Amino acid sequence: MWMLSFVPDALLYAVVIGIMFSGIALYVISFFTRFIPPLIPYSGIARILGTILTVVGIYFYGSYSTEMDWRAKVEELESKVAVAEQQSKDANSKIQTVVKEKIKYVKETRVVIQEHIKTVEAKIDSMCKVAPEAVDILNEAAATPGAKK
Amino acid sequence: MKKLLIALTILLLTGCAMFQKPVPVKRNFPSVPTELVESCPDLKKTEPTEKLSEVLKVVVDNYGQYHECKIKVDTWVEWYNTQKNIFESVK
Repeated sequence: MWMLSFVPDALLYAVVIGIMFSGIALYVISFFTRFIPPLIPYSGIARILGTILTVVGIYFYGSYSTEMDWRAKVEELESKVAVAEQQSKDANSKIQTVVKEKIKYVKETRVVIQEHIKTVEAKIDSMCKVAPEAVDILNEAAATPGAKK
Repeated sequence: MKKLLIALTILLLTGCAMFQKPVPVKRNFPSVPTELVESCPDLKKTEPTEKLSEVLKVVVDNYGQYHECKIKVDTWVEWYNTQKNIFESVK
């Protein structure tokens, strides 16, 4: 069946319609053969053949319509997916810009605070002396829970 | 004969429409901004010291790291919700 995808749509349609109408034509002609004596023996065969061709033609026409419907659905969905992928890229680009700006702002703020500490460093250190236990507790709290020491 | 022919034709014509198949269209998983796939670093530890200013510097750095990680986590949530909405809009 997949080989049919290589056949041009118009040709496929022409073949399907051809089979269907050939069958109908043969079926109709089979009624007139009874008036032509040399063709009378072929009347029954023509009718059977006409019937088979008509049924096969209708079947092919149904298959052709279904195939075309599927192709249309695939094309429609592919275009929707393409739009969604573009939207996704645009959203990513926007998110990336925002996150970069936010992280940059946090880093800049940290530098400003560190500079502020330097200006009051002497004052802070003269008024307070940190006990070693305080540093140990702080480091204990900063350690990643469950991590190997 | 005619009734059989009609029944056969109807059966043949409805046969294809009886089964709903999923439409075979390939979809790519959306990429994630590189900033979000970087893991958050461990918190910094203070060197043994008596100076409060040194302790304060480490604490400030750790606060900064927390804020960066918070931004990443919040952005992950925003990224997921945005991409989910886009994904679900295609039907």
